[in-house]
Amino acid sequence: MRGLLLLALLAAPVAVRADEAPVVPIFAEETATAGIDHSYTGEWQYMVGGGAAAFDCDADGREDLFLAGGESPARLYHNDSAQGGALAFSERPSGLELDAVTGAYPLDIDSDGTMDLVLLRVGANSVMRGLGDCRFSAANEEWHFDGGDGWSTALAATWEKGAGWPTIAIGNYIDRNEEFSPWGSCTDNWLHRPGPAGGFAPPLALTPSYCPLSMLFTDWNGSGTPSLRVSNDREYYEGGEEQLWHVEPGQAPRLYTAEEGWKELKIWGMGIASYDLKGDGTPEYFLTSMADHKLQELAPGADDAPDYRDMALAAGVTAQRPFTGGDIRPSTGWHAQFADVNNDGFTDLFVAKGNVSEMPDFAMEDPNNLLLQRPDGTFMEAADKAGVASLLTSRGAALADFNLDGLPDLVVVNRHGPAQVWRNLGPGGHWLGLRPHQDGSNPDAVGGWIEVRTADRVQRRELTVGGGHVSGQAGWWHFGLGPAEVADVRVLWPDGTAGDWQTVPADGFYRLAEGRPPERRTFDRR
Amino acid sequence: MHSLTRRQAIGGLSTAFLLPALPAHAAPAPSPQKIISVWYGLILDLVRHTPTYTPPVVSRALGYAGVAVHEATASGRDDLLTLAGQLNGLAAGPVREAGAYDEAMVLHAALAGVVARLFFNTGPTGQRALKAVTEKLGAAIEAPLAPEVARRSRAYGEAFAAHVLDWAAGDGGAEIVSLGFPEDHALTPGPAHWVPTNRIALQQKPLLPHWGANRTFAMPQGTSCRLPPPPAYSEDEGSEFYKQAVEVYEVSKTLTEDQRAVALFWSDDAMLSRTPPGHWMSIALDALAAEGADQARYADVVARLGVALADAFIGCWQGKYEYDLLRPVTYINRLIDPTWTPFLATPPFPEYPSGHSTQSGAAAEVLSALFGADHAFTDETPTIEGMAPRSFASFWAAADEAGISRLYGGIHYRAAIERGLDQGRCIAAHTNALKTRRT
Repeated sequence: MRGLLLLALLAAPVAVRADEAPVVPIFAEETATAGIDHSYTGEWQYMVGGGAAAFDCDADGREDLFLAGGESPARLYHNDSAQGGALAFSERPSGLELDAVTGAYPLDIDSDGTMDLVLLRVGANSVMRGLGDCRFSAANEEWHFDGGDGWSTALAATWEKGAGWPTIAIGNYIDRNEEFSPWGSCTDNWLHRPGPAGGFAPPLALTPSYCPLSMLFTDWNGSGTPSLRVSNDREYYEGGEEQLWHVEPGQAPRLYTAEEGWKELKIWGMGIASYDLKGDGTPEYFLTSMADHKLQELAPGADDAPDYRDMALAAGVTAQRPFTGGDIRPSTGWHAQFADVNNDGFTDLFVAKGNVSEMPDFAMEDPNNLLLQRPDGTFMEAADKAGVASLLTSRGAALADFNLDGLPDLVVVNRHGPAQVWRNLGPGGHWLGLRPHQDGSNPDAVGGWIEVRTADRVQRRELTVGGGHVSGQAGWWHFGLGPAEVADVRVLWPDGTAGDWQTVPADGFYRLAEGRPPERRTFDRR
Repeated sequence: MHSLTRRQAIGGLSTAFLLPALPAHAAPAPSPQKIISVWYGLILDLVRHTPTYTPPVVSRALGYAGVAVHEATASGRDDLLTLAGQLNGLAAGPVREAGAYDEAMVLHAALAGVVARLFFNTGPTGQRALKAVTEKLGAAIEAPLAPEVARRSRAYGEAFAAHVLDWAAGDGGAEIVSLGFPEDHALTPGPAHWVPTNRIALQQKPLLPHWGANRTFAMPQGTSCRLPPPPAYSEDEGSEFYKQAVEVYEVSKTLTEDQRAVALFWSDDAMLSRTPPGHWMSIALDALAAEGADQARYADVVARLGVALADAFIGCWQGKYEYDLLRPVTYINRLIDPTWTPFLATPPFPEYPSGHSTQSGAAAEVLSALFGADHAFTDETPTIEGMAPRSFASFWAAADEAGISRLYGGIHYRAAIERGLDQGRCIAAHTNALKTRRT
């Protein structure tokens, strides 16, 4: 009976009036049956980290799943889910079974059309070359990538203008050898730029470094050149703050300064999620922390200065304490991600929560948040009603449409607890899954934008690699359309050229190759 | 490998230097005063890195740590007097059994117990540092000792820690809920009273509204140095209240470079610095190190300063919630300039009196009595955060600057500063009246 009701609801696309509460989708937890049996383990050196990477490792169109293990070996799970069916994964020997992994980000480093993976580790980081069929080989030596010997906790990547290889920023945490007084021992973040003959040049130190737990290359002002946003953990820095770096081709990176309008902010920065919530071409940034979280928008009259102000309280996303479960102590937030989970055309926000390590001033039973956006730009908590308010100690996560039914599903990595998987059953409105492609280097158009136009508005999404909490994705870019049965789509390519608007029917996956019409992708039945 | 930082130099990492690459039997035993220095270095690190440690909470910890140091020290010497019977509720401590003691081990065990309890809520890195200092410093102390002396000394220090912690448990400040911002607190209605001044959800309620009712240390009670009311609230442009608000506003628009530096130097933000009471303890530790103080001198200074700071925050907080006065940013935005923002972030609690002023006045009065009214010094405390050191002709010169820094920062009216300093002087008199030596 319940299944019939859900089918009926799914058949009725969501249309939300401005004065209506968002439709709450139902997430069914399928941890026990999905074939994933994994925990992020380890003590002090693994109090942060615990990332997930969702990407297609065998070109079957489905996003597979890599999970960091901390002291335990990392694992790759192949996505066996039938389209629209229950979530199903199977562990796949891959060459990625390293220990000491804190997180991972997929990135087609050598632009060969097969996704590679950067593993962040306690110790030497590893770039793993994708060989196809979900096999990987270590490529540090071949690509001249210096893995260092740090405690790596953040990554962001971009293709600088004219470059054939990506630029990768790696965030490093405290000096793990400082036993008596590790505070103030933040180690240098590194910027790996392309070398003169392929691969990478020796890394540049991004000094000063302030113990980041998230980084993101983002074109915050629509200039066409992304800057590097860094969210730092104030627990460990001295004299530090949040950072924004100029990273311009051929130039040494340099910090934005107060004279340029950068406003000092000191938080326990743990995760970054970005989305152009207002549809004006510049992203807003959600920053996770302990107690209050931040949602930053450019201040009115910022006049091309990075003058951000906090709108979290007004938008209802401070998420400073548990909203359910009875533990009223302040929260600890980690991974954050925007995704339109009910396909009403207004992106929503997921936040993974969990105590650092039995800190008694903070909630031990700290439910994850699912904040559904209303048309007026405010958000409504719905994690409990949706069924994703896990009280485990969460860290990294990924919202991705694993079973290709147009509804973002959810995987969450927990520290000292099993990773959890939920299938989104809806109801939801119409939707699109889009994947830009350009020939040559940077095939996934990192640094570009996708625009989706329906009758009354344009949604814009920046194509980024980085952010969240040590958790990355590469796959279908998801858009909810509400009641719209068709939409116009176009890509603003990384070189600044705008593709043509092209009309596509809703409820499908489309490859958007530069200069070619959208190509609808269908999937084999399982 | 990064260079030695100021924080490491005054305590925390200096523990590492107590463990040279020598065989244990050949290593020099750390002195009792070195034990105090190392533990206070760690305390100041934990103050900065433990989220609940807002300034009142810091002052309480410094109060109990200081008393523990003094009482453990006095228990082994005939020339020193116990504070039992002088401090509110403090009973006589445990009696030493017959036999030899090592004073470094007694202090180490006492401080290890007290600090572990006071900072029970610090994060995993703080716990790791606590464990490392407790175990490795303890091992360095123990290495040259006869086993029976080490056992006896450790047991006595642990008993002393339990004694001090029992005393601390009933003072009203042991349990901090919601980082000190109680959800169920009702704001006082009316235009004269405090309202939230930022967009942080947790801070829509003020910090520690009941702190003024805590048991005091040397001062009889929280109201013993009660201040008169602030200038009467008025929106009349001719009123004293309005004039004081205009002064904050006008000063903010013409801040000199030095005034900005002064405001930042004394900003001492909670959870981002050692906080105001930690700042003054850092000044005292520098003075002790500079004069090569012995154990008894260390004990006298850290105990008296800790007691005065703790009493200062109780007395100040009593006034803050008796008058519950609104902050300049609220008044100025309402009546003078809706776009004005102060140079410093406004602290999330009522305005009158200025906490930094009260506790700086108390600290200056106590330190002047201990080191002299004309004791000149250079304060390097905020250099950890990248600021330049500042030099002062006396402790009171520093306290006066700390007070006026809050006007430069746009977070206090003049009355709260001047009367806060006076209140500190009054509170310190109770500490200065304590007897710690027989002669």
